[in-house]
Amino acid sequence: MALLDVADIETYYGESHVLEGVSLSVERGDVVALMGRNGVGKTTTLRSILQLTPPRSGSVTYDGTDLVGRRTHEVAAMGVGWIPEDRRIFTQLSVAENLRVSVPDGDDAAEALSIAFETFPILEQRRDQAAGTLSGGQQQMLALGRGLVGDNDLLLVDEPSEGLAPQIVADVADALAAAASETTMLLVEQNLPLALDLADRFYVLDNGRVVDEGDADAVSADDDRLRRYLSA
Amino acid sequence: MTLALELAQQALLQAGFVDGLAEFARPGTFAEVVLRGLSKAAIYVMIAAGLTLIFGLLGVLNFAHGALTMIGAYLGGLVMVLTVAQGTGPWARLALFFVAMAVVFGLLSALGGSIEVRLIRPLYDRPPIYQILLTFGVTLVLEELARIVVGFYGLQPLAEWQAALGTIPAFLETSQSLGPVSVRGLALFEIFLGALTVAAIWGFLTRTRYGLFIRAGSEDSEMAEALGIDVRRVFTVVFALGAGVAGVAGTLLMWDPVWGASVPLAAESLLPAFVVVIIGGLGTFRGTVVGGLIVGLVDATTTWWFQNVAVTWTWLPEVAIFMILVVALIVRPQGIYGVEEVGGH
Repeated sequence: MALLDVADIETYYGESHVLEGVSLSVERGDVVALMGRNGVGKTTTLRSILQLTPPRSGSVTYDGTDLVGRRTHEVAAMGVGWIPEDRRIFTQLSVAENLRVSVPDGDDAAEALSIAFETFPILEQRRDQAAGTLSGGQQQMLALGRGLVGDNDLLLVDEPSEGLAPQIVADVADALAAAASETTMLLVEQNLPLALDLADRFYVLDNGRVVDEGDADAVSADDDRLRRYLSA
Repeated sequence: MTLALELAQQALLQAGFVDGLAEFARPGTFAEVVLRGLSKAAIYVMIAAGLTLIFGLLGVLNFAHGALTMIGAYLGGLVMVLTVAQGTGPWARLALFFVAMAVVFGLLSALGGSIEVRLIRPLYDRPPIYQILLTFGVTLVLEELARIVVGFYGLQPLAEWQAALGTIPAFLETSQSLGPVSVRGLALFEIFLGALTVAAIWGFLTRTRYGLFIRAGSEDSEMAEALGIDVRRVFTVVFALGAGVAGVAGTLLMWDPVWGASVPLAAESLLPAFVVVIIGGLGTFRGTVVGGLIVGLVDATTTWWFQNVAVTWTWLPEVAIFMILVVALIVRPQGIYGVEEVGGH
């Protein structure tokens, strides 16, 4: 049984029909890349899984439990973590406080934080600094760190390399690879080499529909089949 | 002739101003004005704290906040009137005051929590005007209920409840000497209670896990929810806490003859609370403390000047407070510590 099974979901923003019968599945331990141009529904798919923008029809099954109709904090408490596109760190909280927010009740906070600090040592150096004063790359590290300390079985990662300098992208890629060895991941990423390097499987979205899918090993970053849907 | 008269008047005014300045700069006078300012600041912060907590997290401008303060004043007064007898000693009265405060905090928190769950929650998906109208409606209902109840028991709704005022211990009613400064005991008690309230809320927000959730939710409630925080429950807790603190402030005002337990206290306490949170920055607790200090000190200073030097018109200090508000709105509309956007659902 897949850890995450999204079946035929239809999601709207008001009257705007964004997802038109999207289906995908993520096996436990896999990294699945969700690719497509801007505005085709990738982020909405993640929001639908989290029930931030609940689908009007279809089902989202996580570890055998249907998530549709549940509240987002319940979904998160079941082990679904979210690293959003625009980082959305709490700028007025310190680095350590940002991480502590993610630690589930009953877990040892110090132990949980050490996971993030081992992956991104710079965060430990700046643990008492207001998160809003970090550089863009450090904020992305914090967003990833928040996902790592959350004791999540599934991470929904949205455009982690967007807007980052190449060196920082390499650090982020290393962190994602390390995280991928510990957890299952659904990765939205437009950086094709990065996505295919990390992923076991991929899905391509276009106009709110899945138009292609397959094993990541079977395609390359300059594959015409993918480029057709990803180039602007 | 007219010019000569005008010049003479100006000279007299200048002489009065200089004398006034000399008197104001005297250490005893200055310290007295500062202490009065701090006591006013303590009251303003206590009234405004709940308002800013609620707006910071929920994005709801709670127009019922003043009415909750008024209910707190009456309930606190009721506890005191029922428990204090003529022979009750001053320390026992003080102890009973803290009991009254705890009772009022509990009752008002429960009332606030119920208002959030039953009335405000269904409106979160609507434009903010719905919440403003609703809380304004709650104010009208609470005011009318208070009018009916106090009228039923033979009290004047528009006048301060004298029986409650009479439960104050003697040492708070009389002036206390602090070196060259003579200040009413109640002013010192207000400063103490204000500082205690600020420390308690500050400690709760910065030292507890729930406080961390509140601060995170105030900044981005959707992200907080996605990290596993039940933001809806946090909303209820914060509304209850805000209402409870409003009640605590009301309990204190019940003893202060400038305020006192009366139905108009609802509006009288809401106005300065709004001024304080707007000056400090809507939704920031730190801003509320700083805003309260500014308003309290300006209030005390202008009161002293208008009463001792310029003119004897008691409403002028309030004009000064609203002048600060106007200047603040022009110079820094988001307030001292305000951010572009706060709270929300």
